[in-house]
This record gives sequence, structure tokens and C-alpha cells, in this order.
Amino acid sequence: MSETVTSQKLDERTSFKSFVKTHIFDLTAYAGLAVMLVLFLIFNSGPRLMYNFSAVVQAAAVYSILALGAVFIYSMGFMDVSLGQQVGVYVILMILIGNKIGGPGGVVVGFLVSLALALACGAINGAVSIFLGLPSIVTSLFLMFFFTGAQYLMMESTGENTIKLIQNVKPADRNTYTLMLIGIIILLAIIGNYFFNYTKLGKYTRAIGANKVAAKQSGISLVKWQVLGYMALGFCAAVASFVMLTRTGTAGKGTGSGYAMDIMICLILGGMPLKGGMKSKISCALVGAFTYTLLSNVLTTMGVPLNWVNFVKACIFLLIVLLTCRKPNGVLPR
Amino acid sequence: MKSTKKILALVLTLALVFALAAPTASAKARAVKIGVGLYQDSGAAVSGVKAYLASLEDTLNVKFAYTVLSTNDEALNVTKVQELIAAGCDGIIITMDGGTEAILQECADAGVYLGGYLCDFDTSFRTNYDKVFKNEFFVGTVADGGCGDELKRGYDFFDSVIEYNERTPDAPIRHVAMTTFPAFAFPYQQNFVAQFVEKVEEYNAANPDKAIEVDPFNEETDILMFRPMDSTYFTKHPGIDAIVSMCAGSFVYPTMVSAGVSDTMKLFASGYNDGDDAIFGSKGAYQQEIVCANESITYPLVLLLNKINGVEFPDQPAEAERKSCSTFIINSDEDLELFKNSVYLTFNGEDALFSPEDVLNLTAYGNPDATYAGLCEILDHMTIEDLK
Repeated sequence: MSETVTSQKLDERTSFKSFVKTHIFDLTAYAGLAVMLVLFLIFNSGPRLMYNFSAVVQAAAVYSILALGAVFIYSMGFMDVSLGQQVGVYVILMILIGNKIGGPGGVVVGFLVSLALALACGAINGAVSIFLGLPSIVTSLFLMFFFTGAQYLMMESTGENTIKLIQNVKPADRNTYTLMLIGIIILLAIIGNYFFNYTKLGKYTRAIGANKVAAKQSGISLVKWQVLGYMALGFCAAVASFVMLTRTGTAGKGTGSGYAMDIMICLILGGMPLKGGMKSKISCALVGAFTYTLLSNVLTTMGVPLNWVNFVKACIFLLIVLLTCRKPNGVLPR
Repeated sequence: MKSTKKILALVLTLALVFALAAPTASAKARAVKIGVGLYQDSGAAVSGVKAYLASLEDTLNVKFAYTVLSTNDEALNVTKVQELIAAGCDGIIITMDGGTEAILQECADAGVYLGGYLCDFDTSFRTNYDKVFKNEFFVGTVADGGCGDELKRGYDFFDSVIEYNERTPDAPIRHVAMTTFPAFAFPYQQNFVAQFVEKVEEYNAANPDKAIEVDPFNEETDILMFRPMDSTYFTKHPGIDAIVSMCAGSFVYPTMVSAGVSDTMKLFASGYNDGDDAIFGSKGAYQQEIVCANESITYPLVLLLNKINGVEFPDQPAEAERKSCSTFIINSDEDLELFKNSVYLTFNGEDALFSPEDVLNLTAYGNPDATYAGLCEILDHMTIEDLK
């Protein structure tokens, strides 16, 4: 009996060690989020805790939605540097169309136009690189410059530094708005999780990231699934643009700038392997987005001196990258 | 698995313990906290304003928290203001007019007041006046110089060029070209160009023997897109004696150096950067720099403190205002020597134009006789002459 118990304990310890070893990168990402949450609770007690919680949700919402879409791209080992400029253009479009048509219907039309454009850009991003044999970053660079110019020209045509949506799209009650954002994040996370883990879209995008040649030789259509992956990102970009619009109600020439880099940082903080592959996880999006948002929030509420903020962020980022970076050859699932 | 559960339970317990412990610390009486959203995280201007505000902390019983805003991302500005509110700020001063309506909504939700510094809030003034300037949580703003029709920087540049010519009759400036930032970010700079040209034409008509030639404005080379000036500028403007730069000199001077003209060509610019004193006046290319005093932040600060303390000036206007502010126009070695004694460069609060007691006396709660007119008057006394 005692031998059986000892053996069971040994099995449990071995199983636990094996579990930790297998999921060390994910655990590190979750640990990072946990640390940020603890610090958040420590430095945000009192009457402003709920206020700051809603502020974090608002700030993290756009990152979360974009990151959920970006997982499909990053799992293929690609990235999209045009994301920020796309978001900027979509927000401007929603405002211009919304103001032109007027009323809630105008906003809906604006969103649908932006969605159509986003899906089209996703398809272009995915297909052109394959047809021309270019690295995907090259096509996304083209789109980045294209959208930068488009954003500039659209704002120039208005003659203003910023434009404002006349129709109010943000719930007046703060708690209602926060719940709306949480609902959108959860809904998209469920949808994203389903597509990433239970459909061919997720399976094949990860396979492409793991080994493109093997995937092709297995009969996976690189063009089709690359296009669908980028279109998934496009869909999320359109939704994220609308969420950003609800937050500020305005847009300008610089709206969305830098978001491509922010999303990359979010995914890395979430434990996403930059080369993609079978170890890519949809959870990286939410873990990373909230870790990134909480990090910025906590540094301010802790009172970290202004000229130290970027240095601290860089150190934390470097630490997490060192802990979560995966060997280039270790991409096959265990 | 049991070990994992134990670890998770420990982490959650620790989190709860810290959360429960924290309110104890905050139960003590605390100073008023003012958040300041700056336009950059380092530099002489930032160090100077922080030094000035630090000197006021004890007397005013105020603590300051700082963050950096974005020139073009409204959502980021909203996030940064939310973070300041979450950090316990009772009032916030911002230096950008981006996402202002959303920011004011956040402030209203939290009962926090908002003021402006180094910004004329031009977009909000023209397109969203009711939602911003009539908002009870907005106390007003002080610009980086003049506001609206009071912006006469082109005239200041002209005066400096003439002053230089009078000081150096052997080598006067007879041919200039200009630079500006893009109109979408700084719409009034094109007015400055027109003002400068207007004054030069008047001067040339009265002094044909001392005429100054101004190159036509070339949009390809003369508009700096927040990047250093391209060297093709000198190809487009051959033979010029000076550059009149409506934008910061740091975008122009390095190109002058790389083009090899910094020893012969003069530069009249805005802003002041660390190390400019070594290349100013008789020592180098810079002949004018225009700087807004750090102490102009006193205007929104006093208004915020009044609101937080529940008092008002007897002559308080019904709506928030945007105020012009006099500036340090440094266009001689003597001016530079005076400027070097300001808190802008010494980072010593004792060198500020106003002592902590002066600022307290400007507030309605610190001085029952204080007035809004008195507060506005200080904005006219932030010139080089006031540093004497």
C-alpha cells in the first residue's frame, strides 16, 4: 500500500514537472499577467479601483481585439505592419460616412464600408505575397504606406486637425460601456478560440507557421489559408476601429499610429512564438493585451519617474522575451 | 495538480492581503494631487517645469504626477489621463488638444478638473467650444505664446532680424528663407509667414537701401514634417543669409551643420535646446530663440487649486478661457545671459519668476483679495525683461 502511495506521489511530481516543462512559456506569460494584476490591486485600492478597472478595460479592448485577429497571422510566422494605419483610416471613414449619412444608420454604414475594406485589404495582404513570392511584410509595408497617405489625404480634405463623429455611439453610463467592451472581448475571444482551435483555419495557419513546405505538401492551400488568416485580422481591425471610435469619438492624422508594434509587443508578452507554429495559442492575445495595458497603468499609478518609464518597460519586455523566446527548431508540438 | 492548486491559492491570498493592506496607507490625510500630461518626457523644458512645480509643493500642499501625451493619438491621451485619474489626481493639466471631449468626460465621471498649458486648444475652440470651454470641469488654458488673432510671431521674427542688422551693420542679413511645420499640426505658422513677409515689405518700402529679400515659400522643402530639414532646402534657396524657422531650431540646425553653412548662415528659430548657448549669438548660428516660460503653468494650476478647494475669484468668467502668454524672446548675448538664470535652465525653483508664496497669493483660498484679473496679469510678465 505504502509503495503504491509513494509511487502515486512520484507520478504526480513527475507529471507536474513535465507539465511545467512543457508549458513553461505559457506559465511565464500568465505569471507576468498575475504579477501585473497583483501590482494593480496594490496600487489601485480605494474608491478609484473600479474607475481604473474600467479604464484598463477601455485601454485593453482595442489591443485585445486586434491581437485576437493578429494571432492568426503570427501563427503563420507573419506580421502586419500596416495595422495601425488601417485602424486610423477605418476610424476616419466611419466618422466621415457617419456624419454624411447621419444618425445611427450612418455609423452602421460606415462600419460596414470599413469592414469591407478591411476584408479586402486582408485578402490582398494574404494573396499578393504568395503570388509575387514576396515576404508578407513587404506587402504589409506597401499597405502601410498606402494607408498612411490615405489617412493624410482624408484629413487634409476635411481641413481640420481632428474630426468628430456627430452621432453619439458611446453609452452614457460608464458601467454599461465597460460591460459592453467586456462583452465584445469575450464574444470575439469565443469566436476566435473556436476558429483557432476547432476549425481548419487555426489548424492550417499553425501548420503553415510550423513548416510551410510540409504544409503545402500535405495538400494545404497556402493561398487560401493565408488569405483567410489575413481576413480574420481584417475583421478584427474593423471591430477594433469601431471600439476605438466609441472611446474618443474623434480621429486625426495620427490615429492608430504605432499599433502594429504595440500588437507585436502584446503577443510576445502573451507568450506567442514569433515564428508561429503549433505552439501558438489564442490565449496569447488576451494575456498579452492585458499585461501590456496593466504594465503602462501600473507604472503611472506607482509614480515611476517619467524618464524611467521607457527604461522600465524595456527591461520588463527584455526579461519576458528572454523567458519566453523559443528555439527556432523547437516548433513541432510535443 | 495539488501543488498547482496550492500555489494558486497562495498567489490569490497574497493579492487579497496586499489589497486589504493598501487602504491603511491611503487613510492618512493627503496633499492635493495634480497630474501633468507633457508633450515629451525629457529635455530642458520638462526639467524646468518639473523643478518649478516641485518648488511649489510644500507651500501649496500639492503633489505632482507626470505622464507623456501623444501629438496624434487621441485614444492614448484618454488612456494617459485615465491613468492619472486612477493615480489619485484631483486636477490635471494637459499640453495637447487631442481627444479633449472624451478626456473631459473622464474627468467629469471622476470629479477631476482639467486645465491646459502650452496649448491654445485651437481645434476645440473652433469646432467644439460648447463641449470643452463651457464644460464645468474645464478651467481654461494658457497658450505657448499668443492665441488666435494675438499670435504675432511673424512680427517677432522680423523685429529680431532688424535688431540683428542694427547690431551688425557690417554684415547685415539681406536674404532670408523660411520653414514651418505642417499646417494640420500648426495652422498658425502660415500666418506667421504672412506676418513676416508683410513687415519686410513695409520695411523695404521705407528703407529701399536696406531691403531684405524673402524667398517665396516652397512647400516641397520649407514644410518640415517633424523630421530634420532636408539639405535640398539650400538648393532651393541659394545665397540666403539666414533661415527664419517658425518651427524648432533642432529640426534645422543639424542640416545646416551637415551642409557646412552653420558658420556663415544665421538661424532665427523657436524653442531652446540643451547646448544651444554654445552656438548662440556671437558664438554661432542661432540669433533668436523664443521660449514660453515654465511659470505660465501657474495659470491653470491656480484655477485648478481654486476649484479643488471649492472657491472662486469674484471676477471669475462664466466660461473657461484660453489666454495668451508673453514669451522669452532671446535675440542677443545679453538676453541669453539673463535667460540662463531662469528656472528653464537652472532647474532651480528659487530662480522662478514666482515664489511659492506668490503663487499661493494668486489663489482665491490663499488670498481672499486675489482676482482673476490679477492671475491673468502675470501672463504679461514672462518676458526677458522680467528676468532682470
